[in-house]
Amino acid sequence: MANEEDSIPPMQFYGPTDKFGFGQLSEIWRTRELLYSFFLRDLLIRYRQVVVGILWVLLQPLMGMLIFMGLFFVLGTNAGSSTVAFAPIILTGMLCWQLVASSFRDATGSLVNYRHVVTKIYFPRMLLPLASLMCAVFDFAIGSLLLLPVCMLTGTGLVWSTAWLAIPIAMWLILFCAGCIAWLSALNAHYRDVGYALPFVLQLGMFVSPVVYDVERLRSLLTDRWVWLYEANPIATCIGLLRWSLLGTQLPSVLGMATAAGITVLVCFSGLAWFQHADQQLADRI
Amino acid sequence: MSIESIQLDKVSKRFRLGATNEYGRLTEAIATGVKNLFRKSPEAAAIRVPDSFADRIEAGWFWALRDIELSIQSGEIVGIVGRNGAGKSTLLKILARIVTPTQGRVGVRGRVGSLLEVGTGFHPELTGRENVFLNGAILGMPRAEIRKRFDEIVAFAEIESFLETPVKRYSSGMAVRLAFAVAAHLEPDVLIIDEVLSVGDQAFQRKCLGKASQLGAQGRTVLVVSHNLAAVANLCQRAVLIRDGRLVADDVPERIIDQYLGEMRAGDGQRVWEDDESAPSSREIRLRSVSVTGNGSDAPASEVDIDQEIGIVVEYKVLVADTPCCVQIQVKDETGAYVFWSANAPSMNLEPDPWFAKPHPTGTYRSECRIPANFLNDTRYFVSVLVGPEVGIVSVRHDSALSFVVHDTGAMRQEYTGSWLGPVIRPRLNWRTKKQ
Repeated sequence: MANEEDSIPPMQFYGPTDKFGFGQLSEIWRTRELLYSFFLRDLLIRYRQVVVGILWVLLQPLMGMLIFMGLFFVLGTNAGSSTVAFAPIILTGMLCWQLVASSFRDATGSLVNYRHVVTKIYFPRMLLPLASLMCAVFDFAIGSLLLLPVCMLTGTGLVWSTAWLAIPIAMWLILFCAGCIAWLSALNAHYRDVGYALPFVLQLGMFVSPVVYDVERLRSLLTDRWVWLYEANPIATCIGLLRWSLLGTQLPSVLGMATAAGITVLVCFSGLAWFQHADQQLADRI
Repeated sequence: MSIESIQLDKVSKRFRLGATNEYGRLTEAIATGVKNLFRKSPEAAAIRVPDSFADRIEAGWFWALRDIELSIQSGEIVGIVGRNGAGKSTLLKILARIVTPTQGRVGVRGRVGSLLEVGTGFHPELTGRENVFLNGAILGMPRAEIRKRFDEIVAFAEIESFLETPVKRYSSGMAVRLAFAVAAHLEPDVLIIDEVLSVGDQAFQRKCLGKASQLGAQGRTVLVVSHNLAAVANLCQRAVLIRDGRLVADDVPERIIDQYLGEMRAGDGQRVWEDDESAPSSREIRLRSVSVTGNGSDAPASEVDIDQEIGIVVEYKVLVADTPCCVQIQVKDETGAYVFWSANAPSMNLEPDPWFAKPHPTGTYRSECRIPANFLNDTRYFVSVLVGPEVGIVSVRHDSALSFVVHDTGAMRQEYTGSWLGPVIRPRLNWRTKKQ
């Protein structure tokens, strides 16, 4: 038995290891296989009993783009900038917005919809909203491939020199979403109101972010202070930055970007701490 | 080789009583938060150091567990015994890390596997193969291990030809088999089993307990909650008794079971609620006593002969005039198996009860249910009493209000000398053989 005793795992005490919830990160890393299983499950379930299957991933942003292009065409207004074709502008906006909206929507319900498992077995609860986020990121990545044909069809040249920056910018947006869903999913487990309020918030969010219009149009209408406030929204800044890196539109203001970065960091850290706090009572309250 | 595997230090758990436990409202939380800002919340401090343990309920909180101290060595198989609602399941959930204790701390060495339910996380839309991987991962098996044991799991479940079929098209038996196959291949350092949830499938229960003893033999720690006292006695080397959220005894299973049954015996065939506070009551009805009679007399008896009629007598008080009352009893056996349910309703009665569901004037009433002789088996039965305005509706109840033992006098076993253990009832029926 002597050699067996050498490999005895240490006694682990349950409960938070630190106040800020950083312990959750290492736990998520340890259980990454389960995260993958949840991601796979969400992905597989979504396209079961669906005729065109995975094509929906491409159709959704494309339809969104066509609807708004049609709307603006009928209205006779141009919500884009003067230099770049409208189609790729709106497509980048649509892709980002669908990443935000679908991750928020799915992650918010993830704990509650899975409560029969949450109350029966332990695993890091954060995996559930994260799996929803991974699905949204998957859609985002596949949907991004649409940019190439859309740019070609509209004769828009991609700015290759800064295009690589699109990846860190997208990561920024994903990080912001992660922080938000940590808040939303745990809040919804305690207060179902969150789930009901979310659709309205998302509807509003779509219009206060440059999803279907370009920031350049807005700049001419607003004073600097309002532009700063507008760009403090990390979603707006990320969309603006993505367009800048891929299509060569105007860069968001440095002050706006700095504020947005600060807000992102704040949301992520507070999200971690809140999630850990909420997790303590999750099985009792859900 | 006595290494501590599980350690509980003064673990307590309380739950919120009432609706806020179910669905919280954000506005409410904000309102409470604002209130607390202006007031140095004295309640919170009072709850932190609960000094009055006389009652488990205090200021809207319910103490499910209190000051549990327990240390379990690796390789031990420990049974947890207690009545319904004593806090057994909460204790398991705390050990399985599902529920966080309000006070105290829990330490566990190694990987914990919990089987509080079969097929946790099975998704009906996914195929058998996908569910094996998902369920295995949720139970804590590494992917590589599932892959390695996949064929074994499938063979064990006997569902080879349905691997690519969504689980929603499985029969319930197939789904349970698959779920159990996954669980049976789990090899945790500490296994936690709640057998209550598997009631209804005897074969599964047996397999579950077999798995537990096998793991114990391998030097792993197993914790079992079971209503099946025989199983606890056979399987475990140690048992703990939980009563009203407290750990009251920790000993070899035989002694724990004796003590538990002694508590359940609750007097000599009767249970009387002397004072009004402790009696189960609603606004309209208050239970007074429950008793069992038999052996051909009207005196309460906790042990009755198998060949005599058994009476179950419920006395209750009607506090509000014109309350309709229907008296109902539930009889369960020692394993928790539900033997029968009965009420004084015409459809369940040989001759109609004139008081059934009639508006009762205030006063004390006595309802008696007669169970025929030569009907129950020679084992212990538990009686729960329920009173409500009509059948199936309950305003006052008391689970396992008392128990009684039916004794075999030999009247029904003149020819047969073997054991009658097993069947829930042993009715004397009408048999006739004819030569065709």
